[in-house]
Amino acid sequence: MTELDDIDGLAAEYVLGTLDAAERRTVAERRASDKALEGAIVAWERRLAPMIENVRPMTPPPALYNKIRAEIGLAQHIVSLKARERALERRAARWRNAFVGVSAVAAALVGVLGYRDYQAEMNPGTKYVAVLTASKDMPPFLLMVDMKTSNCIITAVGAAPVANKIYEVWMLHDSLAKPKSMGVIGEGEMNVMPVEPGPDRDMLMNASFAVSLEPMGGSPTGLPTGPVMYTGRLVKATP
Amino acid sequence: MPPATDKYAELLAAVAKGQESAFAELYQATSPKLFAVAVRILKSREVAEEVLQEAYVKVWEKAGDFNPAIAAPMTWMSAIVRNRALDEVRRRVPKASADESELDNLESDDEHPLVGLERQEDVARLMRCLEGLEPEKRQIVRLAYLDGMSREALAKRFDRPEGTIKTWLHRSLAQLKGCLEQ
Repeated sequence: MTELDDIDGLAAEYVLGTLDAAERRTVAERRASDKALEGAIVAWERRLAPMIENVRPMTPPPALYNKIRAEIGLAQHIVSLKARERALERRAARWRNAFVGVSAVAAALVGVLGYRDYQAEMNPGTKYVAVLTASKDMPPFLLMVDMKTSNCIITAVGAAPVANKIYEVWMLHDSLAKPKSMGVIGEGEMNVMPVEPGPDRDMLMNASFAVSLEPMGGSPTGLPTGPVMYTGRLVKATP
Repeated sequence: MPPATDKYAELLAAVAKGQESAFAELYQATSPKLFAVAVRILKSREVAEEVLQEAYVKVWEKAGDFNPAIAAPMTWMSAIVRNRALDEVRRRVPKASADESELDNLESDDEHPLVGLERQEDVARLMRCLEGLEPEKRQIVRLAYLDGMSREALAKRFDRPEGTIKTWLHRSLAQLKGCLEQ
């Protein structure tokens, strides 16, 4: 019977997955400089990959793509924004501790204050923000329209995750026959969508927003099916 | 070669140029399979989501390294996902998932229809070569590759010393290699 030499045996087990953590680390480091090992690994990947053909596909939650998008494509535009968002979250957490149980007005104020803080460090340009707030606790979502970059940004700041459910943001406007979905959003996530000047943006600026709790994939009907948790409107956040 | 393979190679080339729409299309087409691969190894949807996120970020960043002459797109992408998943599963103690029924479901995959993500002749050849292994050895190879079982876990499951499992694995892999090269 054929025997595998040391390098081939190591590569085969690395690809098969049976090495322990320390062995995997060693191989991962070594392959960068060891052409023979690298070649053997690639060859084993090619040999064994067809096995995944029999794995039954499973659609990941839709919010995952937003996360990936936020981490890569949008990183080019809003890399600094992410850092600011984290700073805002930390600030929000401090405020949240101070404000648990207080009125919606106070909570909304925290959102606006936090946002102003955050916004002052960004490029100039008129921005609008809607604080979508519940009756108590922190504003869970911020919806911002940046007139300079023509972006509408929805961030989940303090939304508590609910098992097997996801938040979905809706736009409501007199000219719309029914609420229009603006996508699903998970805890700590940020959706950025372009809003070019024109009728769509005009509508957005005058719309109301609502957040409902939906099954993982978002509303199955295209309309809110779960409880509407939060509502709000845009206000001008800069002069 | 099924058209999907060519299509994914084209998409990866566009992704390498930073084309977001190509990335979205590639994600749409390939994430259900790769998510399932990760869930099956990690036995947790939650951890699999983290791994999948990291893997696709890497696909975006490394798409320029993809060489269709060396690997099929799904081979290349699944290696990224599996490596991340295996690193993760070897690092942590696996927890039971809340949704065991779904995970059980994942394991009963043998009659699952082929969905054309890999070159069909490669799939057929590997299946034929796996059939050539003794049933127990074939099962060990599948449990290792698809379910991420460690040598230790396999030793327990088959009630053999780890050394024996290692010997079996090496013999089985050598036999597979020989068969695939015929």
